[in-house]
This record gives sequence, structure tokens and C-alpha cells, in this order.
Amino acid sequence: MTTPTVKAGAGKPNPFRSFRRHSQLWLMVLPAIVVIFVFNYVPMYGIQLAFREYDFAKGLTGGSWQGLHYFAQFIHSYMFADLMKNTAFISLATIVLGFPAPIILALILNQVRWQRGKKALQTVVYMPHFISIVVMVGLLNVLLSPNTGIVGHILQSLGYGDVNLLASTRAFVPVYVLSDIWQHCGWNSIIYLAALSTVDPQLYDSAKIDGASKWQTIGYIDFPALVPTIIILFILSMGNVLSTGFEKVFLMQNTLNLPVSEVISTYVYKIGILSNQFSYSAAIGLFNTLINFIFLFAMNAIARRVSSISLW
Amino acid sequence: MKKLWSAVFAVCLGGALLSGCTGGGGDAGGSADGGAASASGGSGGGSAGKVKLTAIITKHPLTQELSKMKWLQEAEDRAGVDIQWQEVTADWDQKKGALLAGGDIPDLIVGPNAITDADYAQFPGLFQDLTDLIAKDAPNVQAMFDEKPETKIIATQTDGKIYGLPKYQRFWPATATRQYINKQWLDNLGLKMPTTWDELFDVLTAFKEKDANGDGDPNDEIPMDFAPVGTLGFGYFQPTVLLGSEGITLTDGSGQGYFVEDGQIKNFLVDERYKKMVEFLNKCFAAGLINPEVFTQDYTKFQSVARGTGDKAKVGFSWGWEVTDRFGNTLAPQYASMAPLKVSADSTVPLSWDYDYNSLNYGVNMVTMSAKTKDKDAAMRFINELYDPKVSMQVLFGSLGTNIADNGDGSYKVLPPADPSMDPGTWKWTSTWADNGPMYIADSLKLTLGTDMQSVGQQTEPLMDAINSIDKNNDVLPGMFIKYSKEDNSAMSLVNTNMMNLAMAKFSQWVTKGGIDKEWDAYVDNMNKAGLPQNLKIMQKYYDDYKSKNKM
Amino acid sequence: MNAFAGKRANGEIGFHLFIALLCALIFLIVAYPLYFVVIASVSDSALVSTGQVTLFPKGFSTFGYEEIFKDARIWTGYRNTMVYTLLGTFVNLLFTLPAAYALSRPEFRARRLLMFIFVVTMFFNGGLIPTYLLMKGLHLTNTMWVFILPFSVNVFNLIITRTFFETSLPRELYEAAAIDGCSHFKFFTKVALPLSKAIVSVIGLYYLVAHWNDFFTGLIYIRSNSLQPLQIVLRDILLSNQVFSQGAGVGGDAGGYAQRYADQIKYGVIIVSTLPILLVYPFIQKYFEKGVLIGSVKG
Repeated sequence: MTTPTVKAGAGKPNPFRSFRRHSQLWLMVLPAIVVIFVFNYVPMYGIQLAFREYDFAKGLTGGSWQGLHYFAQFIHSYMFADLMKNTAFISLATIVLGFPAPIILALILNQVRWQRGKKALQTVVYMPHFISIVVMVGLLNVLLSPNTGIVGHILQSLGYGDVNLLASTRAFVPVYVLSDIWQHCGWNSIIYLAALSTVDPQLYDSAKIDGASKWQTIGYIDFPALVPTIIILFILSMGNVLSTGFEKVFLMQNTLNLPVSEVISTYVYKIGILSNQFSYSAAIGLFNTLINFIFLFAMNAIARRVSSISLW
Repeated sequence: MKKLWSAVFAVCLGGALLSGCTGGGGDAGGSADGGAASASGGSGGGSAGKVKLTAIITKHPLTQELSKMKWLQEAEDRAGVDIQWQEVTADWDQKKGALLAGGDIPDLIVGPNAITDADYAQFPGLFQDLTDLIAKDAPNVQAMFDEKPETKIIATQTDGKIYGLPKYQRFWPATATRQYINKQWLDNLGLKMPTTWDELFDVLTAFKEKDANGDGDPNDEIPMDFAPVGTLGFGYFQPTVLLGSEGITLTDGSGQGYFVEDGQIKNFLVDERYKKMVEFLNKCFAAGLINPEVFTQDYTKFQSVARGTGDKAKVGFSWGWEVTDRFGNTLAPQYASMAPLKVSADSTVPLSWDYDYNSLNYGVNMVTMSAKTKDKDAAMRFINELYDPKVSMQVLFGSLGTNIADNGDGSYKVLPPADPSMDPGTWKWTSTWADNGPMYIADSLKLTLGTDMQSVGQQTEPLMDAINSIDKNNDVLPGMFIKYSKEDNSAMSLVNTNMMNLAMAKFSQWVTKGGIDKEWDAYVDNMNKAGLPQNLKIMQKYYDDYKSKNKM
Repeated sequence: MNAFAGKRANGEIGFHLFIALLCALIFLIVAYPLYFVVIASVSDSALVSTGQVTLFPKGFSTFGYEEIFKDARIWTGYRNTMVYTLLGTFVNLLFTLPAAYALSRPEFRARRLLMFIFVVTMFFNGGLIPTYLLMKGLHLTNTMWVFILPFSVNVFNLIITRTFFETSLPRELYEAAAIDGCSHFKFFTKVALPLSKAIVSVIGLYYLVAHWNDFFTGLIYIRSNSLQPLQIVLRDILLSNQVFSQGAGVGGDAGGYAQRYADQIKYGVIIVSTLPILLVYPFIQKYFEKGVLIGSVKG
């Protein structure tokens, strides 16, 4: 392998060659463009349903134009403040707690020297990801039940006998977020583990020779290897600032935690099943994603300014 | 290498596009592929000459494959049709939206309110107006309309057309909720059957403090338990029936609080009598008389707890459909069904209960036809078969021979389950469409019911005085008989969603933590702000309209 | 030097002990509920829901598994899911990897615009109905291709892969190759891909699992049972036995028979649907081994 002494492309520009280069790149990205255009952009005309009254007889684009009527309806609705508050609180808590957890887990796992144990632990830790939500909530109900669940028993022995984790408004968000972490932390750490696996082992060796402690190794070698991935994933998580899943919240809702557990997605579902309010739910959905997108956009701009890593 | 990649790429893309197209071509006209054909069981005597139809049925998850139902094959043969069924047991709401908006529906859709009145209004032109077809091809349906004119009212939309057909199953009791108490515990503790709320409170206290089930542990009894209260509203087997002690007649569970009193539409969620009932429940809860997990357990757990362990019962007082369903076969003998309670010994309010006769015996929109069906007469003939009372009874209980015995003299008998470990209810739901199918069980049909239905009847006895005294013309909300316009329906459901959010959260909070006195006025205010008065006005208008049109 | 080494060794032992403790704790917290799922799937569900099953199965019965496996649709489900997953993942990688590579090349000037266009689709979409109409128009409904072609590029995965290509492939590598007249195609297939085993396995795993777990596609776009994937069959079985969670045993569905085993099926379903995936992961894991990049850049 020859050592380059001249920077590539520093020779005289050859237009034919650079076009040919670029055409290859275009070819490589073409299938993705086609797929995304056909399946994501073509149906996008459906967004205008949020501004139009749904009229089956006239087709999706035929209904009467309502402008911002549905948005106004939502903002002035009785539930608006509560929905926004609950949704924001749950998603922010999920990000604040759920984002660092897989990183820490990856860093811990990376330090395990016993290979067999490491493999076993890795496999065990990503298994919960596959439990379907219906079963997960059922599991929570059984384990957390104050009288009969094992967590309930533990709490009783610690003296918190009359706390019902499933019932209180204060416990809902912690239970929701922590069970989320329990379920997905392992799976989410895979990407970080993969990034850590690309660190040149020679770096570790030289660090050892220089007398670095384990903590310093993690801080100066492991963590920087993760930084690009962390930044990108964080920007993307900003796009979830106002999203909660629907199914899990809906299944965990009961009358006692309703004041904090009613979120935008469950509300939309309820007005959807009672009568086919297509336009209204489309408007709410659009409102929701718009806010998410604004956050993402802002975070991406910040990242671009502060580091060299950003989405676009 | 590059060439290989490009070649592979091109081949894949080409192959994909090609297969996509041909796959699509074979798709036109209702996908007849191997698996689906076997699902419909194949019509033995050659399908030549039979009209092919497609259909969806929303069936109960316990129900077996349609190809195993003998009566169904016979009905299809007699009508000269061969139906390819798609059997849906879950997520119908999600599928339905896409199906309807895409205009992609099969010839027939079967299932309880599978297509709602709101759908008919929102998707004009998609569904077939059945009025003329009934006159031409469906004498059985016409008979049902003649003998039970209320079924025609259920079937007719606001524009006078008929898009979906109802059902009538005749044998079901007047109420879904029965009240039970553990008689053995009463005897063990030397107590009398309670007849008022205060007596109930005392009995429950005794259940809690003393060793009612005789196992040596005075603390393992749960005096009262009720079905989980959902976030969308109340339902059956819940303490709302206690409102009957205060004279309020519930209809079909009154899930969202609406009831009728002397011809006036009201909502108990803002009624003083509801406040009184919640205070009573709170008193019980504070004294530890109600299962502490009552608001967090799910229905499965609710049922499991009641089955106790072995022959040791766990729950003292509760509400349920039928005693073996609620408490299991082993413990059932310990329980007795009760009459409605009075609020206090000197109360003179006429007792009432929950009137469910309509929702238990009638059903809305059990079968709908697509406007694009090619052979509408054939489809209607099949529907007609279903409404023949002799076929209807098989729709409900199962095929002749295996589930029903022909006594030879024109009368029939429902047979006990062929599988002895199964109870009659589960057997019915497994064998056939049961309550989910279109049917007309004529009053003239001579059918002896199975043990489960008979015992339900017996257990409803104590409630019959109260139920018989209900003024059906002025105290019952004829829910399924009233058709609202699309706009009114929309407006009302939005208000209801908002109201339920507030009401249900408050209900559980007040029962578990109290505080109803302080918060009541602000709560009523909020309920009104959410739009309750508008809903009451709309409903009153339609109700008055309905009564005057039907001369009640 | 010796004293220094000794001090370092002590610090290291403390560190490793700490790590070991953490790992043990993590293992317990994660493993117990999973263990619970396994024993619950063979225990009497009334005992399970009243909390009497904690460390060992009680009321042992395999009813749950019998119910699941005697449903003939399970085997069609497994077969279909395998086909959709393998074929689908292949198409996913085929479309995503080259695109991610192209987007990672700084000289590709359109990349920021393209990336923006892609990211927008993560947030804004036309909704279910227009998408359904599109699938219908393309004749993809009720065919196996609806599982493979639509949405075959997941933008999230695309971003991750692009980031990986950007940061883990040293510039010198590409420059060296470019000087030798290597085209992008060649570099991509001969150099980049072999060095990116870690990311290819991760993204491949993500796509694979997404296909495996997908039930929504089958729910909305498929009518005939013979095309349904495993998740739909399992969801059907699962919800069939959750009847009672909807409450109201109206019309006589007495709780007796299926009630006892309702939860068994619930837990059994997890095991049945997860087992194959669990068998795949260990094979992927070896690509995460350290030092994959050794030897590619010298000096």
C-alpha cells in the first residue's frame, strides 16, 4: 500500500472524470430516491386532509376547504392544555432518561473481559425488546400489583405497603419510562456497541502504556468513538419531543392515572373510533408532527454549528 | 464485481416489478388463491352454477373456522352461493378505515355493528339500499319486520333507506347485570340478607373483620369487588346499578351517564343521586371494604380473583352475568342472587335497575351489502336463509345434530356441550357465530334452552319486580332505535369524549380518596363547559321526535 | 515503576469489581421478568395473575403451546415470515447501503439536500388512506410484494449507516484508492463494505427484526390467510384469548374453559415469536468484535 503524498483530486480537474464519479454516486442513491419518492412523497397529498372536510363522495381532495378550522378547534378545545402538558412531559422524560441509558450500558458491556459472560449478558439484555406491547403491559400489571406482584412484595417489605404503582398519578410516568428503558435499553445499545467495536485496539494498548486509568480510557477513547453516533441519534430523538407511542399509553391508562396519561395519540384514537373524524385527527396529527419537526430542525442547526456532525 | 452487482440489481428490480404486476393481475375480482379456497371449505357438490361471493365476518375470537360449520355450508347451498370468507377476530377498527376509504369492500360484511350508521352516512354510494331486495328476495326478513316492527325501525336510516339488517334473539334476559352475595358467608357469620345500603355496609364490614370463609384467616376476604371501570365510560357489572336504589333506570348500562326519567333525557354524572352513591362507595373504600386493586386490575384478574382457591371463596359481594361465569363452577353454589337494595330502610323511592333487554336481544347492522355486488339477488337470498328461524337458531347455538336436537314434533332442544369440560357459553361461542350473527328467533319457534340460559333466567328472578315496574315508554332510552344525523353524531361524540375523560378520572379519585363534597360544584361546572347541555338538548329533540312518530 | 504498577493494578481490580457488580444487577433485573415469562407460559393462569407463581411453574400445563401450535396457520405464518424477512432484508440492504455510501461522500454536492428530503419523510406522511390507495393502484395489496418493496429504505437506518461511513472510513483509504483510479463502485464493494461488517450486521439486524415483528402491513393490506405472516397469526391467537379483557361476558361467554389458560397463551406467544430471532443474534454478534479495522491503515 503506497503512502499518498499528494491529496487526491489535487491534480488538474478532469470534468469528464468528475461527472463519471458523480454519476456513479447518483446511481447508487437512485433506488433509495425512487422508493422514498413513490411510497412517501406520492401519498403526501393526504396531508391536505387536515385542511379540508373529508367527503367520501368527492374523494380525498374534493371536500370543502376549511383552512385552519380544525387546528383552531383543537387549540381551543377543552382538552388542549392537558394533552400538550401530558404528552410533552412523557416524551421529554423518555428522552432525558432513555437516551443516556443505552450509552452507559454499552460502555459497561464494553469493559467486560469475560467473553462468555459478555455474550450471555448481551443476549439477555436485548431480549425484552421483542416482547409485544400487549404482553409487556400485562407483565407490568402482574409484577407491579401491590398485593400479588413481586415488585409489590418488595415494596411492602420496604415499608411502602400501600403504594399502588399502577394507580397513582405520580407513578405513571416513572413506571412508563423505566419500563421503556428496561425493554429497549439493551436493543438500543447495539448500535453503540458496534461503534465501540471499531476502535483500534492499539489505542487501548498505548493508553495503558501511558498509565491511563480505566475511567480515563473510557473518557478519552471510548466516549469520543461514540460521539458522532450520539449526536445523530440525539438530533433524531429531538424529533420525538412530542410523541409518545399510542399502544403502550392506551393499555396502561386507567381511570386513576387518566389526568396524566391522556396524551395526544390516545385522544386522537378516541375521537377516531367514536366517529370517523378523519379531518380533525389529520389536523391534530399534523400539528403534532410540525412541532416535532421544528425541534429537530433547530437541533440540527445547532449541531451543525457546534460540531461537524449533523443530519444535513 | 461492478458488473455482477449491476446485473443482480437489474434482475431483482425487473423481477420485482414483473411479479408485482402479475400478482396484481390475479388479484382483480377477489383473490382466489389456494389457501383462501380451502378456508371456505369448498362446496362439495361442485361449485359450477353457484354464484361466487366474497364476505368478511367479524367473529368472536373463540369461534372456530367457518368451514367447520355445517349449517353454514347448507345455507350457502340452498341459496346457490359459494362464499369466500375472510374471518376477522381482531383490529377490525383499524382495518375498516382503510377498507372503506379505499372503496374496497367485499360483497357482504357480517358482524355486530361492523359497519355503523355513521359509516353509512359518511360513505354514500358504497353500500346497497336493501329495501327493494328485501321485498323481492327475503320473505324471512319481511316476516321479521312484520312480526317485530321495532326491527324495521332499527334498520331504517335517517334518509329512509335500509343498509344494514338487525337481529332479534328473543331469549335473553331483561338485564345483563345480576347482583350476588356469598350466602355461605352470611350463614357462617349468622347474618341476614342485606336489603339496604346500610345493611350492606354492615355485612361487608363483618365479612372483612371476621373469618367469613372459615379458613382461620380473618383477613383474606375481599368484601366487595366490581368490574374494571374503563376510561371510556361505565359498563356492566359495575356499581352504577346502585343508582337503581335511588330510582334511576339505567338503559344498556348507561355507560356515558345518559338515562331517561319521565320522558326527560338526563345524565346521572351531574345528578345529586350519583353524588350520594359515590359517597357511599367512598365510605366503603375507606373502610377497606372494596378490593384495593379495583381500579387497576384487568378483567381477567377480576374474574380470577373471584374464583378463589379450591373451595375457599375470596369475594363476598359482586355483580356479574351469571353465577358460574362470575365465580366458577366450584364456588357457584355458595352464592345467591339478590334483589335491588333500598338506600335506607325508610326510603320510598321505587326501586329500579339496568334495563338491557334491547341491547341484549336486538342488534344493529348485523349484515351489510356492498353496492358493487354483481349478483345482488343471490346475496340477498343467502341473507334470507340466515333469517329463517330454523337456521337462525343454528346461527345462535350451532348446527342441528351436534348442538341442537330435533325432537321430531316441530320443537327443538339445545344440547349440552359435546366436550364435557366446556361450559355451555364457551361451547356456543366456539361452535358458531352465536350473538355475532344476523338472526331472527321468532317468538313462535319452540326451542328449549341449555342449562346456562335457564340458570340466567332463574338468577334474574329477584330483580324482576323492579324491572317489571319500569315504565318502558318514559324511563328507557331507546338507544339503537334512534338515528342521529351525521353532524349531530359528530358533535355529540366529541363532547362525550371530553366529558368521559373528566368524569371517569373523578369517579375513581372520589371513590378511592374522597373529596367529592368539595369538588362537586366545580366538577359539574366543568362538565357543562365540556358541552353536556348541548348533548342533552340534541338527544331530547330526537327522543321526542321518536316518541311522536311511534305514538308512544 | 513497580509501586506505580501495583497502585494501578489495585485501582483496576476495584474498577472491575464495580463493573462485575453492575453487570450482575443488570442481569437480574432483566432476566427475572424474562424467566417469569417462561414459567408463566406453562403455568395455570389463574395462579399467575393472582401472583402465586414466582420462582417455579405452578399448575403445570402446556395448553398454551398446544393451542398455539395446533393452529395450522402457524406453520404458514412461519414460512411466510421467513420469506418476507429474508427477501425483504436483502432488498433493504441493497437499496440502503449504496445510498448511505453515496451520501457519505463529501464531494457529492447534492447530499445535504437529499438528506433533508429524506428526513422530512420521517415526520410528514400523507396518512393511511392515501397510502392504501397507492398500494391498491400499484396492485401490491394482497400480494407478498407489499411486505418487500414499500418503505424498503428506512431513513433512520440510512442516517446511521451514512454516519458510520463518514466517520469510520479513514480519508486516507479512499484517497489512496482514488489515486489508483478506483471508481466509487469498486471502492464501495471491495473496500468499504468488507470494512463495515459491524454496521452492515447492525443495520441488517434492524431491518430483519422490523420485518419479523411487522404486523401492521399484513393487517391492512392482506386479505387471504395464506399470505399472512407469523405476527398476525400470533396476534390473532393472543387477542382470541384476551377476550375477557374487554369485559362484559354478555351473551354467555362464561369464563370457565379458556379462562384458565388465557395468560399461558399470552406468554407462550412471546416465546414462539422470539425464539428464531434469538438464534440469529449470536451469529451477528461476532462482527462486533474489536479490531475489525486492523490492518487497513498502516503507518
